[in-house]
Amino acid sequence: MRMEKITNERVQDSYYSIKHPSGLRIFVYPKEGSNSTYAIFGTRYGSVDTTFRRSDEKEICKVPEGIAHFLEHKLFESEDGDAFARYAKTGASANAYTSFDMTCYLFSCTENVYESLEILLDFVQSPYFTEQTVQKEQGIIGQEIRMYDDDPQWRVMFNLLKALYHHHPVKIDIAGTVESIAEITPEYLYRCYHTFYNLNNMALCVAGNIDPERVLELCDKMLKPSEQIEVERIFEEEPAGVVQERVEQKLSVTIPLFQLGFKEPARRRTVQELAQTDVLLELLASDASPLYRRLLDQNLINTASFGSEYFEGPGYAAVIFSGESKDPDAVAKEIRGEVERLRREGIPAEAFERARKAVYGRNVAALNSAEAIANAMISLTFAERELFSYIDALAAVQLPDVQKRLEEQLLTENSALSVVFPIK
Amino acid sequence: MIKTEEYPVTEGIRFRSIPDTRFKTLRIAVNFMLPLEKETAAAHALLPFLLSRASREYPDFTRLNERLSELYGAAIHADVRKLGEAQVLSVAVAGLADRYALEGESISAELSHLLCSILFDPPLVDGLFPEDGFEQEKRQTIEMIDSDFNDKRTFARLRCEELMCDREAFGINRYGSREDVTALRREEMTKVWERVLRTARIEIMALGDCDPVPIYDSFLNAFKKLDRTPVPELHTEIIKEVAKPREFTDTMEVAQSKLVLGLRAGAAVPQDAVASTKLMSAVLGGTPSSKLFLNVREKLSLCYYCASRYDWNKGIVLIESGVETENIDRAKTEILGQLDEIRAGNVTEEELLAAKLSICNSYRTVGDYLGGLENWYVSQAFCEKIQSPEEAAEEISSVTMEQVVQAANRVVLDTVYRMVGKEEAAE
Repeated sequence: MRMEKITNERVQDSYYSIKHPSGLRIFVYPKEGSNSTYAIFGTRYGSVDTTFRRSDEKEICKVPEGIAHFLEHKLFESEDGDAFARYAKTGASANAYTSFDMTCYLFSCTENVYESLEILLDFVQSPYFTEQTVQKEQGIIGQEIRMYDDDPQWRVMFNLLKALYHHHPVKIDIAGTVESIAEITPEYLYRCYHTFYNLNNMALCVAGNIDPERVLELCDKMLKPSEQIEVERIFEEEPAGVVQERVEQKLSVTIPLFQLGFKEPARRRTVQELAQTDVLLELLASDASPLYRRLLDQNLINTASFGSEYFEGPGYAAVIFSGESKDPDAVAKEIRGEVERLRREGIPAEAFERARKAVYGRNVAALNSAEAIANAMISLTFAERELFSYIDALAAVQLPDVQKRLEEQLLTENSALSVVFPIK
Repeated sequence: MIKTEEYPVTEGIRFRSIPDTRFKTLRIAVNFMLPLEKETAAAHALLPFLLSRASREYPDFTRLNERLSELYGAAIHADVRKLGEAQVLSVAVAGLADRYALEGESISAELSHLLCSILFDPPLVDGLFPEDGFEQEKRQTIEMIDSDFNDKRTFARLRCEELMCDREAFGINRYGSREDVTALRREEMTKVWERVLRTARIEIMALGDCDPVPIYDSFLNAFKKLDRTPVPELHTEIIKEVAKPREFTDTMEVAQSKLVLGLRAGAAVPQDAVASTKLMSAVLGGTPSSKLFLNVREKLSLCYYCASRYDWNKGIVLIESGVETENIDRAKTEILGQLDEIRAGNVTEEELLAAKLSICNSYRTVGDYLGGLENWYVSQAFCEKIQSPEEAAEEISSVTMEQVVQAANRVVLDTVYRMVGKEEAAE
C-alpha cells in the first residue's frame, strides 16, 4: 500500500493520499493546532442514479426516485441499534447528506476521534433493512418532503431543473415524492446498497487533528474488501436545448425568488476549466461587477440573496444565477445582456485580475476549516479532480482562457428562468 | 488553549484579540450594543448596512467592492441581532493573511484601515448620508424582513418569539418593523450614527493571523477623538412566572404545518446559573439522541425535525417542529410529555452523558472558526464571568442529574404557536 504525501508550497499545507487494498481511496489532511477533526465517508451514488446496469448482470435496473436519500436515512440503523446512539458515547456530532451525485456520512469531534471513526466505518458497511423500519422512515421522510414543498428556494431550483432538462434525472427531487418513496422496499435498498456501496466506488476524507498512520490502522481493521464490479449509469440522451424558457410557481412568499440557468453540454471539465468558469462568474456577477451595480441601482436584487454558481455533475452542467427580486424577468434580461456585452467588448484586464485574486483568496481561506477541506476533497475526488491543483489553477488562470470560456458558456438559447411569485 | 488578550480603550469599549497563525485568515469585528427599543430599532438596524457600503475614501459602492476583490476576496459583513434585549449591530472585515498575497501586499493593514474608515469616516455630503445609499439599504432591509417570511421554519420561530414577548422589548424584530423601516428619514441617520459611536457599549475583536497591536492603535486613536458618554445600562427583562399559557394560530398557504412552543426557562444570565438549563435543553431536544428526536421523530414518525433551543440571554426555551395539521396536538402532547419525563427524573445516566459530551464537543470546536470565536465571546457580554470554551465545557460536565431535573421543573409553558396549512395548500 502506498501512502503519498501531497504538499503545496503556495498554501503551505500537506495531506496524505492512500489507495487502500480494499479499493477505498483515503485522504488524510492533518491540521496542526486544530481542536476538532472532521471525517466524511461517502459513495459516488446520488439521486440521479435511478437507472443502472451492473457489470455482472445483463438487465438494466430501475429503482424508485428518492431511494439514495432513503438509503442514507436507513443506514444509520443496524441490527444492534442505531449509529447515533453509538456516537452519543463519543460526543461526536454526526450527520449525513445525499446530493445529486453522492451520499456522504460525516462526523465532527474533539475527543474519541478514532472511536468515532470506527463507528463511521462500521455502520456504513453494515446495512440492515426490514419492512418495519422502512415503513417507519416513510413517515419521517414524508415530513421532510413536505417541508421542502414549502421551501421556495428548493422549489425555485427544481422548477428550473425541470425547465432545463428533458430527461436527465437531475430534475427529480433528491428525496423523491411521497408516492415514489412508498414503493421502496428492503429488497430495493439492499440492491442499491450492494451496487453502489462498494469500496471501489467510495472515498474517506479526514481533516483536522488526526494521525494518518492511525487512520490506516483502523481502515486495515475495519474495511471489508468489496468484489470488483463496475456500474454503468444509464441516462437517456439529453438534447442541448431547454424544455421551456420560463417556469412560474406561486407560493406563500412576500418577495419573489428566481433562478436563471444556462444549460451547457455535460462533460467533465478539467480543474483549469473549472477555475476559468469560477473567475468568469466572479467578474461577471460579483458585488464588484458593473452588472451587479446596475441591478442594485434599478432595485432589482439585494446583496443578501444574489449569487451565481457553476452546477455540474454526471451528465449535467449549468451556470445558475439566483436571488430575490421584485422583477425577475428584468434581472434575467440584464444578465443575458451583460453576457452579450462582455462577449462583444471583451473582458477588461483589471476586472479579470481582481476576480482572479478574489476567487483565489477565498479558496485559500476555505482551508481554515477541516469541514470545508474534507467536503471539498470528497466531491473533487468523485469528479477525478484534486484540491491543490484546483488552487494552483486559480493562481494561474489567464484572461484569454476566460474569454474563451465565455464564448462556450452562458448561451441565451439554452437558458431558462424559474420564478416563485407570492400567492396574492 | 485559546489565548485571549485584552487591551484598554475607554469606558464601555472592550478590545479583545485572539492572534493565532494557524488560521490562514484574519477577522476584525466591531459589535455595538444598544437597548432594543421600538423607537430606535429600525434606524439602528439600518446603520451597519449603510456604513459598510462606502467610506469617504471609497464613496462608491462598486469601487469599495473592487478594492475588497483586489485584497484577495476580502469581505465586509454587516449584521444585526438580539442578545437578550440588547440590539447588537456588527460590522466585520475578513480576509486572507498577508503571507498568502501573490504580490506581497499587506492585506491586514489595509483591512484594518478600511474598517476604521467606514465606521468613523462615512462619505457624508452636507452632513448627510448619500441618498442613493440610504434608499438602497432601506429597501434591502425591508427585503430581509420579507425573506424571513419566505422561510417558514424561521418565520414560525420568529413569530412565536414575537407573540410570546409582545409585552417585552424582546418581541421587537431585530430589523425593527416593516413600517418603521419604511418611515426612516435620511436626515436622522447622521445623528443615529454619532449617537451609536458615542453611547453604545462596544466589543471589538481582532482574530486569526494578524498583529493586533496596530489594529488596536487605530481604534484607540479613532475613539479618542469622540466624546464618549457613559454607556446606558443594558437590561433584559426575565419573566419566570406564567399565569396561563396563551395559544395563537396563523392560517397560511403551506403544505406542512408548524408547531412552536415558547417556554420560560426560569434562568438567564447574569443572575442565574444557566449551565443546568443548557444541559436540560440538550437532553430534551438538542441532539439526535435527545428525547424529542428519539420519541417524537424516531418512535412516532410525526416529524422530520423536533428541536429545543435555549436562549440564555433572554431566559426562554423554544421547541420547534414541522408536522401534518392533524398531528399538531399529538405532537404538542408528546413534546410536553417528554419534558414531564425529565421533570419526573426519568433520565438515564447515558442520556445525561450523551448531552454533556455533545455540548462539550460543540464548545471545543468553537476555537477552530474565527466567526465562532467572535460569537463565543460577544454572546457572553452580559455574563458575570467570561468563560473560555474549555471552562464552559468543564462547567457543563459537572452538572448533576438533580440539577437537570430542577432545571426542567423551572421551565413553564408560556405560548403555543401553530402555523396551520389551509385545506388546499399551495400548488
